[in-house]
Amino acid sequence: MISLLLSHQWKAFWRSRNAGKSVAIQIFMGFLMLYLLASALLVGFAVKAIIKNVVPGQDVVIVFCGFVLYYFAFDILMRFMLQELPTIAVQPYLAHNIKRKQLVHFLNWRSLFTFLNVLPLILFIPFSITGIGKAYGASVAIGFVVSIISLCIFNHFLILYVKRKTVISAWWMVGFFVTVVLFMLGDYFGIFSLQKVSAFLFTAILHNAWLCLVAIALAAAAFINNSRFLYNNLYIEEMTKSSKAKTSSEFSWLQRFGNIGDMIAVDLKLILRNKRPRSLLMLSVFFLAYGFIFYKQTYFEKNMLGMILMGGIFITGMFMASFGQFLFAWQSVHFDGVMASNINIKTFIKSKFYLLVAFSTIAMLVSLPYGFINWRIIPVQIAAYFFNVGIHSIMCIYFATRSYKGLDLGKAATFNYQGTGSAQWLYSLAIFLVGIVLYLPLGLLVNPWAGIIAVGLLGLISFLLQDWWIDILTKQFMLRKYKILEGFREK
Amino acid sequence: MLTVNNIGKVYNGKIAVDINELHIQQGEIIGLAGNNGAGKTTFFRLILDLIRADRGEILSKEKSITQNEEWKQYTAAYLDEGFLINYLTPEEYFYFVGKLNNLSKADVDEYLQGFTSFFDGAILKSGKYLRDLSKGNQFKVGIAACMLQNPELLILDEPFANLDPSSQSRLIQMLRELHEKRRMTILISSHDLNHITDVCKRILVMEKGRIINDMQTSEDTLHELEAYFKV
Repeated sequence: MISLLLSHQWKAFWRSRNAGKSVAIQIFMGFLMLYLLASALLVGFAVKAIIKNVVPGQDVVIVFCGFVLYYFAFDILMRFMLQELPTIAVQPYLAHNIKRKQLVHFLNWRSLFTFLNVLPLILFIPFSITGIGKAYGASVAIGFVVSIISLCIFNHFLILYVKRKTVISAWWMVGFFVTVVLFMLGDYFGIFSLQKVSAFLFTAILHNAWLCLVAIALAAAAFINNSRFLYNNLYIEEMTKSSKAKTSSEFSWLQRFGNIGDMIAVDLKLILRNKRPRSLLMLSVFFLAYGFIFYKQTYFEKNMLGMILMGGIFITGMFMASFGQFLFAWQSVHFDGVMASNINIKTFIKSKFYLLVAFSTIAMLVSLPYGFINWRIIPVQIAAYFFNVGIHSIMCIYFATRSYKGLDLGKAATFNYQGTGSAQWLYSLAIFLVGIVLYLPLGLLVNPWAGIIAVGLLGLISFLLQDWWIDILTKQFMLRKYKILEGFREK
Repeated sequence: MLTVNNIGKVYNGKIAVDINELHIQQGEIIGLAGNNGAGKTTFFRLILDLIRADRGEILSKEKSITQNEEWKQYTAAYLDEGFLINYLTPEEYFYFVGKLNNLSKADVDEYLQGFTSFFDGAILKSGKYLRDLSKGNQFKVGIAACMLQNPELLILDEPFANLDPSSQSRLIQMLRELHEKRRMTILISSHDLNHITDVCKRILVMEKGRIINDMQTSEDTLHELEAYFKV
């Protein structure tokens, strides 16, 4: 029975409306996945070399043991963000002659098929065999591998449970994040050391392989807990949305902007009340943290401001870009209504422009504290900001007038390529290229700061020309309006 | 009010709409009858400038609807759920539509008072987003939002199809009132021959994109229509 249900899922995956439609994207995604897995595999086999390089002169296996729990702590966070709850899959079967228990098993099995479960295996198993197996013997290696798999399953079902709970009550979400932050702080300030705990636990397994039974017990407990919860709560209505009454809200501060403000308010509600844009918003918090990668002191020492500028464009523009690539498509379901109602097209385009500007402004303000790393980041970031609001925003709207694919607001954002066409891929590439191209001539020939000023100034001038741009964009939109509408209507 | 000149739309070699000439006067109440695929919805979409015609043009108050957007100020339409912003609550949606037509919240509230019996307690303060309402209730929201705009031209696609019997007769009453008191031009399509002969003064029968019959409603109309649609 379960295998039959799983085979339906397999068919659902291949027969979904988007599958096969654009082979290029499928192939691209395939390569991306392969690349990720290959990289993970490479890391998995190179663990020994990496550890020897990073912390020379220590016992590789002990260092490795100290790292394992860190990975699984990070894994919990990652799962919380990315893992999906396959609840809807069960809907068509509820009224059929299938036992509830089987449905719960089906949901549990179905949930296991995610790359998040493959990743830790690829990372840890090679070393468990080559490194630990050689030094401590086959039975210890097996115990180690079993522990890793068990921990993986433990995390998997724990997070499923926690996430299902957060659907029912938001307090679970708060509790989860408070716990995570407490753990991080505790580790950071040395109240306890995750590394020592990890090293202690896993060296114990090295000496007594049977201790892996504890890990198995943990995994089993998480599995049983989740199954029991599912068994008692297998009502789609309760699992998919909170029963809390929805309240009307308005952003009264937006009202003073007239119709444009109203439309922005509707767009904000779109972001907050639909799964896909909401998960995009959550991801964008990560985008803000990219500064720790891009803003390196060495770039300042070598005066490589171009790299800093790239980071700045990325940080202040990434949410704008990821929201903007579906600028109109977010509304694809009711685009007919928008176009038939008493909304002037120019006002419509204008509201989108201001929305994008607002996103970038918020990102810029929030990321100002990077100035503590080096004050020079601030002027570069402001130049990047001007580029984003003046040039990027215009390009964003222009590309939106060329994208004809609708999307479903209810799906999660990660690895979801519904509604993605060649225009989007071109677009993400184009904005960063344009920023760099504007920077390079003066940046290389005169002085990096001259390049930065050029980018900022061009952005500012373009921003001041917004009325002119909006007229052009409105015309562009009108040219392709029917094609956009037709594309959006096609589900 | 509306003039249709030689409009045509073809999908994959199949004629969807093909209307040589049609005039609709201010204050007319017109029913569009026809089987599935006769082109009723496509025709409505053409009037609302949601699809591009292959040929011909539609004039609203003597102005081409593709050339300017003035028609939006006096036209209200509800074709399907695609006209609702599904993540808003009903109240939010009404206020939004109200704002687009320069109505204050108080105006909207007052107007919605008149819909209390039509809504039957299932819409306002229901604590649901539009996407969580039943199809019939979504339709009620769509219809009410149209009337809220106090348009000169009202277009409804299959308004009776998803409504319960009491709501159907209430809708008929409302349409009559709008027609008689406000001289509103109303264009509705329906499969229900009883309802449209009941409400509409003029009936257009569509088949394969063409208007094959254009009649003023009289006592015999219902029989004529029934005879036409009989298999």
